[in-house]
Amino acid sequence: MIIVTGANRGLGQAIVERLAESSEEVLGLARNTSGMKIDAIECDVSDYASVKNASREVKRMKKPVKAFINVAGVASMNMAVTTDESTVQKLIQTNLVGTIYCCQLFAPIMLRQKQGSFINFSTIAVALALKGESVYAASKAGVESFSRTFAREMADFNVRVNCIAPGPIRTDLLRGITDKQIDRITSQQVIPKQFQKSDVCDLVELLIDEKAASLSGQVLNVGGV
Amino acid sequence: MILDKSKEIVISVITETLKEAKLDDEIQVTEDMQLIGGKSLLDSMGLVSVCLALEDLADEHGFEFDWTSEAAMSKSRGMFRSVAALAEEFSNQSEV
Repeated sequence: MIIVTGANRGLGQAIVERLAESSEEVLGLARNTSGMKIDAIECDVSDYASVKNASREVKRMKKPVKAFINVAGVASMNMAVTTDESTVQKLIQTNLVGTIYCCQLFAPIMLRQKQGSFINFSTIAVALALKGESVYAASKAGVESFSRTFAREMADFNVRVNCIAPGPIRTDLLRGITDKQIDRITSQQVIPKQFQKSDVCDLVELLIDEKAASLSGQVLNVGGV
Repeated sequence: MILDKSKEIVISVITETLKEAKLDDEIQVTEDMQLIGGKSLLDSMGLVSVCLALEDLADEHGFEFDWTSEAAMSKSRGMFRSVAALAEEFSNQSEV
């Protein structure tokens, strides 16, 4: 079974659909599961008790968990000085703390199996230090740092941890961002073009696959930096 | 579960874990033995193995041993302070 957070929209939904096409059994975690076409559990990753309940439910299923994909996240494209306190809290709580909660509470399932893979989501804004994304990038830099160290903690148990750091992919998170702004970002990538959800799904499939058995503690920047 | 039975289980699990890790065949696991920190005979992998084994045994005894719970974590220093403390927590959770 593969578990995906933020599974009801955007990148999470695209990943769920791709994995389902590959005949993988997928379980979605989302705050709102109504209308989802896969098995799903309501879960707010920013809430410890909610993640804990979801992990208990999954544990009781007694099914092997092949991968856990932390996609759930929020974005806010603002200068730090124009980001209000509640937005700062929300970005850190959902993107960083939510990822940590999911990793620490679902890790015991993989530790028991002595195999599995965590895929956490960062952003290319971390490596490129993109202007106007300071708080968002800080929350994701935390995800990268956590993932690198968590990977070492999991390595003895044959559990891999990696990050994917997409550039500007067309999802709800990018609403309000103009094509010109996107061009400005993608021009800083090694491959200066806008990648698609399907490109990110390809990387997810790669990281889950045993062919990526040598990869852990890595950040894959989509488009390159 | 009474505390004595819990201690017996915890000591048995730790002894097995130490043997499997070939850390020491001779060591006598005592109630005051530390489970974390410099004086612990278990490394972090060993400690996780102990917790997973206790999860299984709790399952056999019809309760859930939750070593990742917020409550357990917040007093984790206490829980892993000694074999006796872990046994006490194991016993307490069996009563919930």
